[in-house]
Amino acid sequence: MRGLWPILKRELLGLFVTPIAWVIMAAFLFIEGLFFYFLIMSYSSQSDVIVGMGPAEAFFGQSEFFYFPLVLICPVLTMRLFAEERKSGTIEALLTAPVTPAAVVLGKYLATLCVYVVMWAPTVLYMFILSSHGEIDWSLVATGYAGTLLVGMAYLAIGTLASALTSSQLAAAMGATVFILAFFVMGYAARGFDEGSTRSMLEHVAVSSLMNDFSRGLVDSRRLVFWVSFAIIPLYATIRTVESWRWG
Amino acid sequence: MIACHKLCKDYGSFRALKNLSFEVARGEVVGFLGPNGAGKSTTLRILSGFLGPTSGDARINGHSIVDEPIVAKSMIGYMPEAAPLYTEMRVGEYLLYRAELKGVARASRKTAVSRVIADAGLDGMDGVLIGHLSKGYRQRVGLADALVASPPLLILDEPTAGLDPNQIREVRALISRLKEKHTILVSTHILSEVEAMCDKGVLIARGELIAQGTLAELRALRRPRAVRIRIRGDASAAKKALVDIQGAGETTIEDSADRSRLSVSFSDPDDADATTARIVAALSRVQIGVVEVVPSSSLEQVFADLTARAPTATAGDAKKRKGQR
Ligand SMILES: Nc1ncnc2c1ncn2[C@@H]1O[C@H](COP(=O)(O)OP(=O)(O)OP(=O)(O)O)[C@@H](O)[C@H]1O
Ligand SMILES: [Mg+2]
Repeated sequence: MRGLWPILKRELLGLFVTPIAWVIMAAFLFIEGLFFYFLIMSYSSQSDVIVGMGPAEAFFGQSEFFYFPLVLICPVLTMRLFAEERKSGTIEALLTAPVTPAAVVLGKYLATLCVYVVMWAPTVLYMFILSSHGEIDWSLVATGYAGTLLVGMAYLAIGTLASALTSSQLAAAMGATVFILAFFVMGYAARGFDEGSTRSMLEHVAVSSLMNDFSRGLVDSRRLVFWVSFAIIPLYATIRTVESWRWG
Repeated sequence: MIACHKLCKDYGSFRALKNLSFEVARGEVVGFLGPNGAGKSTTLRILSGFLGPTSGDARINGHSIVDEPIVAKSMIGYMPEAAPLYTEMRVGEYLLYRAELKGVARASRKTAVSRVIADAGLDGMDGVLIGHLSKGYRQRVGLADALVASPPLLILDEPTAGLDPNQIREVRALISRLKEKHTILVSTHILSEVEAMCDKGVLIARGELIAQGTLAELRALRRPRAVRIRIRGDASAAKKALVDIQGAGETTIEDSADRSRLSVSFSDPDDADATTARIVAALSRVQIGVVEVVPSSSLEQVFADLTARAPTATAGDAKKRKGQR
């Protein structure tokens, strides 16, 4: 895919130079560090509280609080992607280069995914801290991270689409946040329903059910399909949006 | 090199281009002229593949910009109006990125960038943040970007807009040097610029083609409306002598301080030559020496005349109507 690699590199540079990436990573690590600290404190004071679940599983699968920052962080990472280029007019130089809209969209999207991965990387340290004080199941850690990657892929794809739909960065970030939040709320709402199709449907889309499963090593293909399409559909819509600008 | 065929472009219900067809041959430098809002940028955006035509097609070197956009785009170096750039990048960094994006092989990227930095007059600027550059220098970065992949065709949208007179001269000189290796389509609304650097002109107004051809052909499209005369003698006397000449309209003294330059308008432009002869004869009868006679038909005037008229009354249409009568 011609042009993907230079676009990805430039976008990374843009994210780190306008210090969005640094600010986000700092904020994220602060929040996750705090969460990790409370988790450790609760384990060391009352080790029987979460029966049958190690701290690593709890870290990934126990609380939505842990995923809540992503509702804001992902849209802020992606808000610039297209909105800024359209506002400043640089999109004209970009789209008149011999590159396909797909390469443009994927290059930009993958740049934010790289920042996302880098942002999570230091949390591996927490796992080493845990392992030095007790048993830790590394395969569960791996599925836990796979789950977070799936969530990031989906949220960033939604943010990318939002950024292509408006030339205002603020509107892009807000739009994506509201959309992602709606899925969050659905997860909570599921608890208000009795067992039945509505409840299981709502649980299916909830980030908590994905992470609950993955943190316990349960990789369900239906969840995989749902979350991967959650990433692919917005990306496809973004490519079509970029193509549609030509005919506007 | 460029062949536009019946290009139309609608913005919503507004039709910005109406059946625009023109051609640019390999090696030509063509000025693309029109008043504000004529549709110049719209046309160039279609040619560069940024916008799609509502109907019609354009071929770049035989490749349709609608059906084979990637191939067509790879032959074009396009400089958008106002040259938008990433302000957070450095000049050299930006040009390297653009070279890579346009598929310049890794091994020749560095040399390509230093070549265009020299060509566009950006020596010593490669470490400067684009956000810190003046408008003129940003314009040069845009030009360097258009050149970096050595495309056979350059499409430049008002490359001299907003530059100071020295920079304008430099950009014009650069374009004249680029003639050797590139076909160039350059838009502007400054006519002297076209006279200075182009072989041909394409004139549009309100989205329609008004005229095209070599500069001489464009000038010939309009008969002179007046003749400018430099005399030796009394200007007021000369003016009096020209009151009743057949075919001559008003006489004006162009410069009240100099008083040696007169401009005589023609009441019937088709009879310009005979009228000019009568004017000169009349002046010599009253013992006023005629030093210089210049028919006034600058391209500026051609432009003003052609674009001011309603597009339904272009030269061709007028002839047609005459023929029907
Ligand atoms: N994106 C757009 N949406 C709606 N109308 C547009 C758009 N772009 C241009 N137009 C209209 O199309 C017409 C042609 O615009 P264009 O920019 O092509 O003119 P131009 O010849 O380049 O003018 P200038 O000399 O001022 O640069 C104008 O009337 C303009 O208002
Ligand atoms: Mg324009």
